[in-house]
Amino acid sequence: MSSSYPKPAIDEDNKPFWDAVRNRKFVLMQCRKCGAWYWPAAYCRNHANQPFYGSLEWREASGRGKVFAYNVHHRAFDPAFKTDLPYVYALIELEEGPMFGTNIVGCDPGDVSIGMDVEIRFIERGGALLPVFGPKG
Amino acid sequence: MSGALKDKFAIVGVGLLAGRFEDRSFRTLQTEAARLAIEDAGLAVNDVDGAIDLKIAPGAGDVPSPTDAFPRVLGLPCRMFFQVSRGGTASIVGVLAATKFLELGMANYVVLASGTKDYSRSRVARRTGNTSIGVMERAGYWGKPFGDLAAMSHHTFFAARHMHEFGTKKEQFGEISVAIRGWAQSNPLAQFHGRPLTLSEYMDAPPLVWPYNIFDACVVSDGGFAIVLTTAERAKDLARKPVYVSGAGVGEAMGQLWWDKANYTRLAVQTARETAFREAEIGLADLDFAGLYDCFTAEVLFQLEDYGWCKKGEGGAFVEGGRIGPGGEVAINTSGGLLSAYHLGEQTHVAEAIMQLRGEAGERQVANARIGLVTGHGGEILSPGMCSTHACMILSN
Repeated sequence: MSSSYPKPAIDEDNKPFWDAVRNRKFVLMQCRKCGAWYWPAAYCRNHANQPFYGSLEWREASGRGKVFAYNVHHRAFDPAFKTDLPYVYALIELEEGPMFGTNIVGCDPGDVSIGMDVEIRFIERGGALLPVFGPKG
Repeated sequence: MSGALKDKFAIVGVGLLAGRFEDRSFRTLQTEAARLAIEDAGLAVNDVDGAIDLKIAPGAGDVPSPTDAFPRVLGLPCRMFFQVSRGGTASIVGVLAATKFLELGMANYVVLASGTKDYSRSRVARRTGNTSIGVMERAGYWGKPFGDLAAMSHHTFFAARHMHEFGTKKEQFGEISVAIRGWAQSNPLAQFHGRPLTLSEYMDAPPLVWPYNIFDACVVSDGGFAIVLTTAERAKDLARKPVYVSGAGVGEAMGQLWWDKANYTRLAVQTARETAFREAEIGLADLDFAGLYDCFTAEVLFQLEDYGWCKKGEGGAFVEGGRIGPGGEVAINTSGGLLSAYHLGEQTHVAEAIMQLRGEAGERQVANARIGLVTGHGGEILSPGMCSTHACMILSN
């Protein structure tokens, strides 16, 4: 069934992110002027911007964060996910500040908790490399 | 600013279609609802010179723009027509927009109409093994490869966060579901009419997406909704008892999403509430009933706190003991809401408010109903950015 997994929706704005993921790198946008981090692509909210967020660039991030909120899917709304049940979909508060929605892998869903330290992992699913998170350490 | 809106405009006709309409198109349902609303107002189609297309988008991705719009189908000679689409707030934003056209004399009667075929779409999806209509088609939509496939895939974050921050219990979400299901028992149009729910049935249901089970989620429906809006002056001469727009407001948290992490335990209620209540010159205690957007149970709990029925974090305790159900202290979602009646977005609640204020709500009629609140919520901008918009409207008779 893996071939029928939904593919990442790649557009002009998030292509640099997905290009980096293919090389197992986790990047966020950082403002050269004030250092603030963004994900997904954004203009810097702290000051006036150059055209087309010209003062921001994609840079490798720590890949660390904490679970901010999570759920446990017991139903595959799309049959492609049947063999993954139960799976955790979570909102990660990244060390750099932005929130990131992804799966938590590498532990029992029952062992996930809000505030838990997690770090980036890359898994292959449906022919695409995906940035997910797992317990730190 | 205050006083610019209060009771200057009125809803003078309503059309409501709720049920199963597999053999009718979205466009026909919308057009039929518009025809019903115009007829209900005692007007002829030729009297109505403004039209607004309300796009309902209940977590099902983008709804296509009509290639053949309902005013053409109905032969409605409108001088203005446009679409409003903003999650579950379209009719409130649409009413606000329409008031300006009426005020400027650019229209005399505006019909606002919507249609939805989500129930039928869910049946089609099921044939391919998909158990959700949440097949998001939006460009750049984030979560699909991670299994964020339905509204429940991320709306659960609201409930999980509230449970974490305030110790809210699963049973307390259940109290909301049971209370609103209770109201549905006196609404013959409700999809769960004749099927009451107990708290133990709720607690025994297996999780779908923990912390939610099937009873935390709204229904999907086929149907249509329309209202006719005009000036209070013109409303006096029409067939029906006018339902006045006493106040309305919108709130938007888009700019704070991802940054203001309070977004996950509150909705963008504050500016909407302040604007609407100031305009209407009333307080919460003046409300006879409220229709709170109830796509899921946690949204109801958040709004009970955000509007001030109780303090932030105390919503769980507040709903215990059937306080919002039939015979309870506050009449919330008397139609059975989106959870148990039908899902026409916030228009489910607008329709109910009109019926209550006209005294047409049958068995569930709130005695001497004079003022009601309706709210809408939605507008997911990027999963799991969560819903960012909220709107409310205070209606009175």
